[in-house]
This record gives sequence, C-alpha cells and structure tokens, in this order.
Amino acid sequence: MESQNKASLPVMDGLERRVASRSEGGRTCDLLLRVLGLVLTLAAAIVLGVNKQTKVVPIKILDTLPEINLPVSAKWHYLPAFTYSVASNAIACSYAALSLALAVSGKKGMMSIVVVLDLLMVAMLFSSNGAALAIGLMGYKGNSHVRWTKVCNVFGRFCNQVAVSISLSLLGSISFLLLVGITSLRLLKKSK
Amino acid sequence: MASTDKPDHRESIKSEEALAAPPRRSNYFSVHVALRVLLFAASVTAVVVMVTAKQTEIVPVPVFPFRAPLEAKFSDSPAFIYFISALSVAGLYGILTTLVSIVLKPAHETRFLLHFALLDVLMLGIVASATGAAGGVAYIGLKGNSHVGWVKVCNVYDKFCQHVGSSIAVALFASVLLVLFTMLSVFSIYRKIPK
Repeated sequence: MESQNKASLPVMDGLERRVASRSEGGRTCDLLLRVLGLVLTLAAAIVLGVNKQTKVVPIKILDTLPEINLPVSAKWHYLPAFTYSVASNAIACSYAALSLALAVSGKKGMMSIVVVLDLLMVAMLFSSNGAALAIGLMGYKGNSHVRWTKVCNVFGRFCNQVAVSISLSLLGSISFLLLVGITSLRLLKKSK
Repeated sequence: MASTDKPDHRESIKSEEALAAPPRRSNYFSVHVALRVLLFAASVTAVVVMVTAKQTEIVPVPVFPFRAPLEAKFSDSPAFIYFISALSVAGLYGILTTLVSIVLKPAHETRFLLHFALLDVLMLGIVASATGAAGGVAYIGLKGNSHVGWVKVCNVYDKFCQHVGSSIAVALFASVLLVLFTMLSVFSIYRKIPK
C-alpha cells in the first residue's frame, strides 16, 4: 500500500507540472504581448509627436516682382486626426504599462476589468488608425472632386514619418487584439 | 408523520429550482439572437444611408462657364468606399452568426463561444477603423482646414453631409454593439469555469 502511494505521487506531480506549465506559457504570452503593445504604441506616439517640417516655398505674385520666399511649416497638430492618433496611442501606452504592473503583481480579481479595458483599447486604437490613414491618403493623393490639393509632394519627410507612425500603431493594435484572443483562449482551457 | 413530511418538502424545493433554471438560459439566448439581428440591421442601415447620399449643387468652377452643377456622392472619397465595404462585411457577419446561433442551440455553445469571441474582436477592429476613417474625412468636410488649404464642403452640400453624418453615427452604434458581444462571449466562457 505504501509503495503504491509512493508510486502515485510522481505521476500526480507530473500532471500538476504539465497543467502549471501550460498556464505559465499562457501567462508569459500575455506579459510578452503587453510589453510589445507598450513599446509599439509608445514609438508610434513619439514618432508622430515630434513630426514637424518647414519648407521655403517660392511664391510668385506678379511677373515683374521677384519671387517671394515664404516659409511654410507642417506640424502634426494642424490636423485633428493626427491629434486623435497621438492621444489614443498615448492612452493605450499608459494603459499597457498599468495592466503590465497589475499582471506581474498577480491579483486575480482585476481580470474582468482588464479584459473590458483591453477591448476598449482595441476599438480606440483601430479607429484612430483608420482616421490617420484616411487623412494621410488624402494628403498623399488629394481629392479632385472636392478640390483638396495634395500636400506630400512638398512635405515629403512629414508624410514618411506619418506613414511610419501609422504602421507602428497598426502593429500595436494587432498585439492588443491578440491579447483579447489569448485571454479568452486561456479562460476556455481553464473551463475544460 | 413529521419524518414523511420533510423529504416531500425537500423534493418540492428541488423541483422548483429545476424549473427556475431553464427559463433564465432561454432568456439569455433570445436576447443574444435579438442583439445579433440588431447588429445586422444597424450595418445594413449604415450602408444604405451612405449609398443614397447624393446631392447636386451649382458651384464656382475655375474654367469658362465659371458656374457648373457638380454632384457629390459617396464614391468621391476612398474612405467612404472602404466604409461601405467594411460595414457590408459586418452585416454579412451579423446574419451568419444569427443563423449559427439559432441552428446550434446552447448544447454546443462552449466550443463556438471561443470562435464567436475571436471573430467578434476582429469585426470590431474592422468596423472601428471604417468608422474612424469616414469620421476623419467627414470632419474635414465639415470644418475645413486652413493650414493645408482644404475648404469646407458642408455649407454647400448640406443634405449630403447630413446623410454621411447619420450613417457614421449608426456605424458607431454597431461598433458599440460589437464591444458588448465580445464582452458577453468572454464572460460566458468565464462563467463556465468550475469553481
């Protein structure tokens, strides 16, 4: 009887270790995705936040007078869509830092709030991506029907930085999406 | 006499509990199906309202006649075209999940709850980005932008702007519904965890 009990103990240990390692793998994935989301949204906010370009444009008013050199500048806060993009990336970045601290400390009761806020961050980040992409495309191509002229032939570097920021923000929002997916996967595995 | 009374009392309590449980489940089920039909209706409404936004006005033109009628429709802007395609995908998703929910009743629900949750989050991303894109372009059309030299359009084309604005509001309602759905799916999975 005693030998049977001793033989059953290592098997139980192995099962418990397998269950623990699976949940540990899920937890590591969760933390990794949060760190990734934090880094990407921070980079996107910074890249768009320091975006500024000034160019000297020669303007001809009359044929007889010499050309006047006028400095024109493009800043990110001239367009409300880019302001929304910087704001939502900053909010998502601070939320990722907060939820990373919560996840590392390991409190169980906060999980429902974290899931709900993750979902809201997904929605906000995707909508700001769409807005910035639409405005960027408008600046890149212009719109002949409404007579909105394109801007990116003059401000090339500005438009390139906007494109980089949008792609970083897109990757960050995809990582938040994967976070929600992995949370529901972990919950399903726990319920089985 | 007292000993035969107690088991009857306990049995009646158990049968009452057994009767109380199924009606709650079918209430959640009918609410779930009704909300999915509402999502389908909201997406189709947004698409239809945006497609029927058309207005012709006489505007100043830089070439000879100096005034010509110009039509504003949704295909003038690629953001609106993306908005319509994304919301029609969401409408198709709404009706597909309604059919799946009705056909496969709660017996198989645990396995499909995960699929619903993942697809709901994906659809939320698509609908939210479409709403944001159309909202950004419509905001410039409403207010203009002096720094870039883009003139506002909505003082001339007022009916067109009203159509576009209401379509975007309905799409916002559809994305809020999708957030609700994902929360419902995740919490249904959470409730099935054995305590």
